[in-house]
Amino acid sequence: MISKRQTVAWLSPFLVLVLLFFLVPLLYMLITSFQYSDGFTLAQYQTVLTNDYILQGFTNSITLSVISAVIALMVTLFAVYAIMRFSEPMREKILILTNLTSNFSGIPLAFAFIVLLGNSGLFTLLFDKWGIDTFSSFSLYSWGGLLLIYIYFQLPLALMLLYPIYDGIQQQWKDAAALLGASTWQFWMKIGIPVMLPGIVGTFSVLFANAMGAYASAYALTSSNYNLVAIRIGSLIKGDIFAQPELASAIAVILAVTMVTAMLLSEWSISKTRRKL
Amino acid sequence: MKKRGFADLFFLLLVVYLVLPVVATMLYAFATNWNKTILPEGLTLTWLAALFQDAEFIQAFGRSVLLSSGAVMIALLVIVPAIFVIVLYFPKYEKWIQMAVVMVYSFPGIILAVGLIRVYSKFGVPMILVVLGAYVIGILPYIYQGTRNSLQNVNARQLIDAAQLLGASKLQAFTKILLPTVYPGLFAGALLSFSVLFGEFVLINLVVGSRFETVQIYLMKKLSTSGHIASAVVFIYIVLMGLLTYAIATLTKRSKGATNL
Amino acid sequence: MSYIVIEGLHKKYGSTTVLSNINMKIEKGEFITLLGPSGCGKSTILRILAGLTDASAGKINIEGKDMNRVQPKDRQVGMVFQSYALFPNMTVKENVAFGLRMQKVNTAEVDQRVQEILEIVHLSEKAHAYPKELSGGQQQRVALARALIVRPKVLLLDEPLSALDAQIRKKLQADLRAIQQKLGITMILVTHDQEEAMAVSDRIFVMNNGMIAQSGTPTAIYTSPESEFIANFIGHYNVFTRQALEKMIGEALPKEYSKFAIRPEAIHLDQRQGDVCMTGEAKQSLMSGNVIRTTFEGECLFTMEQLHQRGHSFELGKQYVCYIAKEDVIALS
Repeated sequence: MISKRQTVAWLSPFLVLVLLFFLVPLLYMLITSFQYSDGFTLAQYQTVLTNDYILQGFTNSITLSVISAVIALMVTLFAVYAIMRFSEPMREKILILTNLTSNFSGIPLAFAFIVLLGNSGLFTLLFDKWGIDTFSSFSLYSWGGLLLIYIYFQLPLALMLLYPIYDGIQQQWKDAAALLGASTWQFWMKIGIPVMLPGIVGTFSVLFANAMGAYASAYALTSSNYNLVAIRIGSLIKGDIFAQPELASAIAVILAVTMVTAMLLSEWSISKTRRKL
Repeated sequence: MKKRGFADLFFLLLVVYLVLPVVATMLYAFATNWNKTILPEGLTLTWLAALFQDAEFIQAFGRSVLLSSGAVMIALLVIVPAIFVIVLYFPKYEKWIQMAVVMVYSFPGIILAVGLIRVYSKFGVPMILVVLGAYVIGILPYIYQGTRNSLQNVNARQLIDAAQLLGASKLQAFTKILLPTVYPGLFAGALLSFSVLFGEFVLINLVVGSRFETVQIYLMKKLSTSGHIASAVVFIYIVLMGLLTYAIATLTKRSKGATNL
Repeated sequence: MSYIVIEGLHKKYGSTTVLSNINMKIEKGEFITLLGPSGCGKSTILRILAGLTDASAGKINIEGKDMNRVQPKDRQVGMVFQSYALFPNMTVKENVAFGLRMQKVNTAEVDQRVQEILEIVHLSEKAHAYPKELSGGQQQRVALARALIVRPKVLLLDEPLSALDAQIRKKLQADLRAIQQKLGITMILVTHDQEEAMAVSDRIFVMNNGMIAQSGTPTAIYTSPESEFIANFIGHYNVFTRQALEKMIGEALPKEYSKFAIRPEAIHLDQRQGDVCMTGEAKQSLMSGNVIRTTFEGECLFTMEQLHQRGHSFELGKQYVCYIAKEDVIALS
């Protein structure tokens, strides 16, 4: 076994760091959200819930997160189905590509999209040249453009999460179903998807949380002009003249509650999958 | 038969969508002029050369490397032993670590920034150290994953016990037997953490700002001034990420082989 | 024409030949076992029969129809897998009813047939349980019920009992045989356990390295192994080279054969049991179930088996003379 002294020696630095740079700041933020000048108050939360601008920010963030998560999920569901049919070396290469592009987020990603779809972007010029007008009203700096960027960094994450879920579908289930008269479509509808469903729900909620907490990409495109929750918080703490840490804290707490709920949902779905199989 | 083609189409779409921005940016880094034409007017190394001669960039790069590797090394020294102690001797408490990992995912940089500024800005502590500390905790999931995956495939406790019965001290058992086994997976986790931190922007921007200019802050500045320089920076960033990804993939493969005991 | 005919079956994976020139004829209602060590190709034959894998060459006929290009779901072949392959999101009842639902049988009939088959496999009370709530033996019985309910032409079983405890395995072997007889279904079982093969089969095809080494009834294979491989694989035969055996018994043996086999229970201490005699020093005596297995060392090692009931207890280190009937010395090609 291990002595108490050794245990304390090896564990305490870690615990101290967790305390100092995680637990204490979060706790303090929670407390701050209930403050206004002096004393305990719910005023901040009241502001959040009644201020149209802030509420719009929440709506925007949630909409953006949900849509990007759903689209990424749909595309990846089919893509992983295709990937499962490739040989092992090919799958490894795809995994490497996924890992590489998962690092491509934030400012570099926003810039890449400016190159492609900005005012002098590659595709902007291309469509202009070919006389395709449908996209002429499209601007990268609109919500549509932001959505494209959000979808981009959701895709690798979706791939990495869905792959093991697909892997859990046993070939023998497919064989047994085929011998009992089921077509491929019937197999997926009656067995494959129901078995994967908790995992898919879990993946969705991780993707949702991932998008809700994103800051850098939107910031890179137009500093604080997008009305997203993350941007809102950022401008309130950095706010040069009117920094409002209390309001920022309240918004952050609500965002945190959303995120924690999403993560708990994903944890629950993982355990549900594990129990069934 | 139809479903086969359908799924492959989505796959192709996915790959193209992921690769296109990367390729386009890399091309822009080498383009002389690319404002009005579909393809660049010409290729040149001037942007890259200018970048390497820019002292500001070199310093920013250095700061990024320093910050990221510093955080990773502290994490290795502090977190890894703690994980080992819990996994080996207090397995019941491992779910606390797992809960901590979930928590770290639930509170991304933007939320943490609020708390960090609130607590530490009044202390006169250099905020960069605060960011460093937050970074160390932020990479907990990757370090934990790297360590756990390696330990999973070996019965660590039995190895240590066997070594001790054969006369080794606890420390010797740890350094001569466990560590070599765990090393590849751990190193992969460290590299992954490094790449994640290198690309981090939120905490750096909000808590420290331009007082400690990392590559990301530098890039942000260049975004509005010179597109070509910005793309050169992104090019270097992609190359760095590519090398790290390749290294991680090689290590993960090796660790899988090592643990097939 | 036989119910199932396999002609000239070949299977190659890249440059490795897994099956070469397999020919089999199986009659309706027979219980056939494909027996052999791991990797001999027996499971591959099953998968080709089911249509889950394609053959490189050869023909499969079921009830006179050529199965080339026929999809698994149209072959009316049932299969039970080693890992049960029960659908985890469905109850026992839903799993069993699955095949009937695919055939769009009406609900009333489905319910009735499910109830019947669950009674046959003794699992009526578990109808609403999920697979993960069942033991291995129970899961395998559900898999059996699921495959049988659609009345397949032939039921294939791919090492279905390998993952189960010895006791459960013995019980299920008996159950399997009983159900097969009761329903008159043609069954093909794949196993590496020769005792299992002997216990349930009408006929056994012993395989080695992608080829059929010998086929016949259990008794025929057991009493007349045709090659050293069979003798070593089936039962606990003593296998001798001609020179060694000639030295031990002091008699000449036919020169066309290089190896000979003697069953351990054919060796006796009673002189009246045979003319051929061998001497050896008792080295080891082990108990295996209801049998005592004693090893002697003469010119080479040989083993004798006796039932506990009438068994003689041996003094280790002492020399014993053993007797064998001449017809029990089997020549191997």
